[in-house]
Amino acid sequence: MHAIEFDELSKVFQGKKKVTVNALNSLSLQVAQGEVFGFLGPNGAGKSTSIKILLGLIGSTAGTARIMGVDVTEKSARSDVGFLPENPSFYDFLTGEEYLRFVGKSFNMSAADISAGSSDVLKRLDLWEARKRPIRGYSKGMVQRLGLAQTLIHDPSVYVLDEPMSGLDPIGRALVKDIIRELKERGKTVFFSTHITADVEAVCDRVGVINKGVLLAVDTVSGVLERGVEGYTVRVLKPDGASEERVVAKADLQEFIEKSMAQRWAIERVEPKRKDMEAFFLEMVSPKQTSG
Amino acid sequence: MLNTVAVNLRAIFRDRVFHGIVVVALLFLLIPSVSSLSMRQVTELSITLALSLLSLILLLLSISLGATSLWKDIERRYTYSVLSLPLSRSSYLVGKFVAVALFLLLATLVLGAVACCMIWLASGIYPADRPIVWMNLVLCIAADLLKYVMLVAYAFLFSTVSTSFFLPIFGTISVFLAGNASQQAYDYVHSPLAKTLSPVVKQAASFFYYLLPNFSAFNLRINAIYGIPLSMKAVVLPVMYFCIYTTLLVVLATVIFTRREMK
Repeated sequence: MHAIEFDELSKVFQGKKKVTVNALNSLSLQVAQGEVFGFLGPNGAGKSTSIKILLGLIGSTAGTARIMGVDVTEKSARSDVGFLPENPSFYDFLTGEEYLRFVGKSFNMSAADISAGSSDVLKRLDLWEARKRPIRGYSKGMVQRLGLAQTLIHDPSVYVLDEPMSGLDPIGRALVKDIIRELKERGKTVFFSTHITADVEAVCDRVGVINKGVLLAVDTVSGVLERGVEGYTVRVLKPDGASEERVVAKADLQEFIEKSMAQRWAIERVEPKRKDMEAFFLEMVSPKQTSG
Repeated sequence: MLNTVAVNLRAIFRDRVFHGIVVVALLFLLIPSVSSLSMRQVTELSITLALSLLSLILLLLSISLGATSLWKDIERRYTYSVLSLPLSRSSYLVGKFVAVALFLLLATLVLGAVACCMIWLASGIYPADRPIVWMNLVLCIAADLLKYVMLVAYAFLFSTVSTSFFLPIFGTISVFLAGNASQQAYDYVHSPLAKTLSPVVKQAASFFYYLLPNFSAFNLRINAIYGIPLSMKAVVLPVMYFCIYTTLLVVLATVIFTRREMK
């Protein structure tokens, strides 16, 4: 059973004056249990639409979506999910602690579990000092961290995070990445959307690229990076003591090494020169621009 | 659903509207002295003023809380975080409605008690010709509460279809005005005075009479002010009417809200 499954999912929005927008077009995707999946796409690509369908906030025009095998139209599909919306907003008349209690009760947690879980996540996300303050007094970063706290409190198996690093300073971003890595170590499934390629490269097992409602590619992050090797930077030390760096094409590496040996050059370093996730992403979403 | 009710009640108590209502409620203290200005029907006037002030406060609460409760959640995007919890849309909506209705009940209990104290004070200073029938007064206040809970159900219904506060607020005010006038309009249209009206107009009037709420059914003021005995029918029928009409409104609102897209 997959943790998350989209099956031929389509969504058409009816705009004013009978204008229709195809926000999603036959999206089929599976995310395995224990996997960290990055859903990459530019603004307006269909990431949030997919996530809203997944959480039952909007309905699909065609196709189905399931979480842990349960159709997302059932409320029980959300019973083992932690969801962080994009630019989250929570009942701002409550304090951070009260909001976590509200969330905990919604997941039928016991009072003792809520209390213990709340303390843990508030401390982990550096909100302990602010726990008794109304949320309306929180900064954007604090609200984002509270959003993450409310996904963690009930320790679900599946995490759906819509732009989780948005609005965070570098320390906050590092914290979120650490948390995602911890979740992976504990066998949790994380599905997160972003348009920041470095975030995907840092924490994801697999990546899916979506643009204009169409899923363009799904691959492992390591696969993308390995396939992107274009050549190597080789640093050699010549017999006269001078060192030199040469850029060698992927196909020419073997020949270059042999020549170097023949000339008694010492090879100090061989570094693959590759396209990063950003280049892969740009190639996917705007192939004409990148090739031109 | 209890969790939703509790959190929404907390929202109301922490809202500025609540603090405003407390200030307006201070006007109850003026009732004995203002009533004394009538010189003759002091008790009757004190009952009229108390019931009117209570009714006004409940109206303000119904519109401000009923028409903005759901809209605020959507406008401030609270719905994204709350509706993604394992909570059905119906329990969310009904929970919000129950919270507002419970708050109205609480406000009615507190303000009703204050109103009764003021009436008792005024009647003690200037005894009335007819004794106060306290049960009538209590039933009158209870009927008023039912009327405003029904109005809140309308406000929720409007909120489920609207993307702005315009329809919930002005629609609710319109329903309030129409609901208070529907019985009189119906009576007039079907009286000999309106025999020149075309049958189409009469049929339209009947249609709207049955469609719109009839708030006159909840008006027991005359009985409360003058101590006129109330029949069982005058109490039971409005309660049944309230139960059926409000249930239909809430069910309709739930059906619409369940299908609404949280874009």
